[in-house]
Amino acid sequence: MTSDDPGKARPTILVAAIGNPDRGDDGVGPLVAQTLSGRLPPGARLIVRAGDLMSLIEDWAGVDALICVDAAASRGMPGRVYRIDLAEEALPPELSFTSSHAFGLAEAIELARVLELAPKQIIVYAIEGACFDTGAPFTPEVLSAAAEVADRIAEEVCHILNAVGAHA
Amino acid sequence: MGTKSILVDYLARVEGEGALDLQISDGRVTSAQLKIFEPPRFFEAFLRGRGYAEVADIVARICGICPIAYQMGAVHAIENVFGAKVDGQLRALRRLIYCGEWIESHGLHVVMLHAPDFLGFPDGIAMARDHGAMVKNGLAIKKAGNEIMQLLGGREIHPVSVKAGGFHRVPTRAELNALAEKLKHARDLAVGLARWVALFPFPDFEQDYEFVALRHPDEYPFNEGRLVSSRGLDIDIADYDNEFEERHVAHSTALHSVLKRRGAYLVGPLARYALNFDLLPASVQALARDTGLGPVCKNPFRSIVVRAIEIVFAFEEALRIISEYERPSESSVKLEPRAGVGFGCTEAPRGICWHRYELEADGTIKTARIVPPTSQNQPSIEADLKDVATSILDQPDDVIRHRCEQSIRNYDPCISCSTHFLKLSINRS
Repeated sequence: MTSDDPGKARPTILVAAIGNPDRGDDGVGPLVAQTLSGRLPPGARLIVRAGDLMSLIEDWAGVDALICVDAAASRGMPGRVYRIDLAEEALPPELSFTSSHAFGLAEAIELARVLELAPKQIIVYAIEGACFDTGAPFTPEVLSAAAEVADRIAEEVCHILNAVGAHA
Repeated sequence: MGTKSILVDYLARVEGEGALDLQISDGRVTSAQLKIFEPPRFFEAFLRGRGYAEVADIVARICGICPIAYQMGAVHAIENVFGAKVDGQLRALRRLIYCGEWIESHGLHVVMLHAPDFLGFPDGIAMARDHGAMVKNGLAIKKAGNEIMQLLGGREIHPVSVKAGGFHRVPTRAELNALAEKLKHARDLAVGLARWVALFPFPDFEQDYEFVALRHPDEYPFNEGRLVSSRGLDIDIADYDNEFEERHVAHSTALHSVLKRRGAYLVGPLARYALNFDLLPASVQALARDTGLGPVCKNPFRSIVVRAIEIVFAFEEALRIISEYERPSESSVKLEPRAGVGFGCTEAPRGICWHRYELEADGTIKTARIVPPTSQNQPSIEADLKDVATSILDQPDDVIRHRCEQSIRNYDPCISCSTHFLKLSINRS
């Protein structure tokens, strides 16, 4: 059976890009979304969120797999890409996601898991930023990482869809 | 006895960034300062030179939690200059979108930000492990508010459909009917929420506040009314500057507002409720009484119950508006720009949000002033902190620190708005 089999519901994938484009490297999530626009296959939806991340729990209702991309706080290596499959490992506490709001991505995922509302598969791409000042330009290393992560997410979406098709 | 200092560097579960500095000397709280260090955002300056039609979209960016408050204050002030009146179904739709904002904002605060304080949890996630059903209900309530915002405003955060004169688009009857079914379910959840929070343990603490709120002859206030207080103030919103004044204080980037003649005052749910209890529907008044509230509540810790009651009211009001809805033929009234000064004042979830705009003949903004609720409440927050800390001064610092943080969250402060963030330090000597 393939994912095109009408007897089997096609899996849904949500790609959530998170960040504020007006706060320097915090805008890397929306930048990845811009690069991914029009490149995702049917079955995958792309959203950009900058505000209350608790509303993400509403966005991923009924979604089979979630891929998030967000900026991570500076640890001295701007542009470094972290890929975390939450089925295999927890979000490392030392990897603090940057959010100027009360509920960040980690909290939204944790709350959804406690309430058993989280998608089965969650993959998080975090790109380490350097400067989060208002109106600041992207750090060059972060810009390069955004293009790389967009390619990896496009591949990952296809892989998830094909894997479901192969296993179904 | 020496000097002691208790510090909270960043207050959690508030919108924005700030700190609290408590100074204790010889067994007495000598100073309680809410330090707001979020940088000024200069929205009033951004507005100068922009066209009147741009204002609703610019001010919506002041806050992700209460954008409607800013949009409504602005559009009413602009219409005030132009001598335009938006009434009928367009006026009703403005109340409806405000219901969405109250539900969304109060829902988030009551369940995720404030309830953990009373139940001994560090945050909403930890609380969800023991109270998952109620947290799910809270999320469903918030989602219902978001759906009102989405339908009327075009999106949940920073809505784009509000404009001077009305809306860019008005909903169809069928769209509102579909929404109403979701709202009825969420209203029932909200009644359960009000009964749940009413059972929390509340500190025995009351303050003699001067409550300030809008008062409309016929309705619990959102967008219109006179400014009234529990000590006899009763003025047109245009006379705000005669009675109130904003002051710079060294420890805060947000201005402090005071009544010129009497000092600190309180805006928000407690004030609105006390000054407008008689205008709540009988069913909501009865629910309030069931939860142990009288017509006036002076205990700021019980503001969580008042917020929950206001959520139920907002659902009832939304359903009433939808039941009487007839789609207007035009989504907005025609405006004819002219020079002048106009005022708007609406009831944001946290209290009155006052606007004054001076426009050129072509509708260009000459000057703008916006007084958000959190800056108006700052002197009362500091007075509460001093009295709360004084009442438990013999307790360990961590107990004082927690109670002070809780006191600040009583106000659901939107610090980002007031600067256009919290850290608590206690100094004992």
